[in-house]
This record gives sequence, C-alpha cells and structure tokens, in this order.
Amino acid sequence: MLFHYITGLGIVIVGGIHLFTVFLTGSYLQNLAFIGGPYSVIEIYKNVIFAVTLELLLIFVDYHALNGIRVILIEFHQGRGWERGVSWILTIAGIALLVYGTRTILIANAIII
Amino acid sequence: MKSDSEQGSGVLYPTNDGFFLNVDILSNIGDNQLAIPITTELRKAITGWFIPYKYNIERWAYALQRITGIGVTAYFLAHIVETGNVVGGLSVWNTPSEGFARDIWTATFQFLDNPLFDIGLVVIGFMLAYHTINGIRLTLTEFGWLQGKPARPDFPYEPKSFTKSQRAIFWFSIFFATATAVYAITVLFGV
Repeated sequence: MLFHYITGLGIVIVGGIHLFTVFLTGSYLQNLAFIGGPYSVIEIYKNVIFAVTLELLLIFVDYHALNGIRVILIEFHQGRGWERGVSWILTIAGIALLVYGTRTILIANAIII
Repeated sequence: MKSDSEQGSGVLYPTNDGFFLNVDILSNIGDNQLAIPITTELRKAITGWFIPYKYNIERWAYALQRITGIGVTAYFLAHIVETGNVVGGLSVWNTPSEGFARDIWTATFQFLDNPLFDIGLVVIGFMLAYHTINGIRLTLTEFGWLQGKPARPDFPYEPKSFTKSQRAIFWFSIFFATATAVYAITVLFGV
C-alpha cells in the first residue's frame, strides 16, 4: 500500500500541473482547442516537459485507480482465488490502459504541425 | 431488518451492520467458509456504504472516499479513450497528419460539449477535490500524524480516532469540493 500513498501524492503534484495548464492559463475553450493557443492540446503534447508530465500522471493514476479498485474488491470478499483473480485481471487491465495512453502521448508528440 | 428469504433455511447471525448473516449449517460440513453466495455478499458489501444507520462521520468519510474513487476511476477510463482520439483512436497506427488529428479532436470535443457531460464534469470536479483533500488526511494518518493520544473509553463512548484536526480536514474537503463544483459550473456554463 506504500505505493498507493506515493502515487497519490504524485498525482497531487503532477495532476495539479495538468489542471493548471487546462484551467488557469487562459480561456478554457482555447486550451481545449486542438491548436491556436500556447497551452492548446497539441502544444501540450509537443512540449517534451508537458508530455513527460502527462506520462507520469498516466502511470500514477493508472496504478492508484486500479489498486484502489483492487482494495475495494478484496475488502468485499476474502479468498485466495478471488484475490489472485482480481489482482491478475486488474494488472492486465492496468497494463493495457498504460500501453494505450502511452501510445496516444507518443503519437501525438510526433504529429508535425 | 429482515434477512433474505431466498437463502432458505439456516441460522441467522446478527452483525454489527444491522444485517443478518444467513448461514446454512448443512452446507458447511467439511467446509471452513460461510455458505453465502458471492453475489449476495458483494451486494451487501456495496449497499452497506449507502446505509447511514449507526454511522459516525468517520465512516461517512470512508464511504465517500470509496464512492468518489470509483467515480474518478470511471472518469479516468473515459478520459483515456477520449484523449486517444487526438491521434484518431485504434484505427490509426502511424503518425496522422495535423489536419486529420485536428478534425477528429474537434469532432470529439463537439460531441462532448453538451449540458449532460458538463453536469458530469461538475460532479467529477466535486469528487476529485474531495478525494484529494480527504486522501491527504488519510496519508497523514497512515504515517502517524493527527492521531491524538490513546484515551480512556468514557461514556458516551464516542470514537477517539477521528480527532479534531482530522475533522477540520474532512470539513475542509467538503468545502473545497463544493467550491470546485461551483468553479466548474462557472467555467462550463459561463454563469
């Protein structure tokens, strides 16, 4: 569970940066437009520092969310088979989410504007 | 509170939650586990969160932490799918042109830009803010802060674990979450 707290505090920092760039750097509609502002969608992905921030946020939230679901499920019902099944299914789901999110960040970073 | 009649004949054990465990003695022979169907157990475990009977405020904080965690996880899944549309989703397997990506993103954003999803975002904002502040409280208590000193159990036996500083953080988390929801309304609905 130590990782749960570490990733939680990581999310507070990295997620704070993410929310800051979306909400506090100008107009919400401009920041959520594909292109046009300094913090628009593609500009964030093209900026290496922000892209790394997004990747870190993805890793932290992925672990924190799926481990949280795992904790809830093994609190609901106890048993060796249940715990192992839940852990394996959520691990696989977490890896799939991580791969898909990383793919998005890498491809978006490579788009030529 | 009544027990479930579909469980058939068995012995009823009252529990602290106000439920009765219905344990069929005959099916327990040679088996260490209680003979409760897993669906019944999971249903009772979930509905237990929403029954305020005999709950104190710490238990409310717990239930809210769980519910908001599940809500934010659902948003996270949707957000990964949504942002995947920046590059065209799973149908695209090499770097798309800028015009292609822009068209798909704009279409996605216009699809999501309606009051239903905006209300959802307001709720997610509330959940995220509550989960963050209450999560900081949980982290502090996990590592030993805000715990208070062990105290003698005196009448009326109120739980000592939820100290004044923890109460303050809990109520601040409710306040902060409400403020976040109000801020989200002003941003999304332009009030």
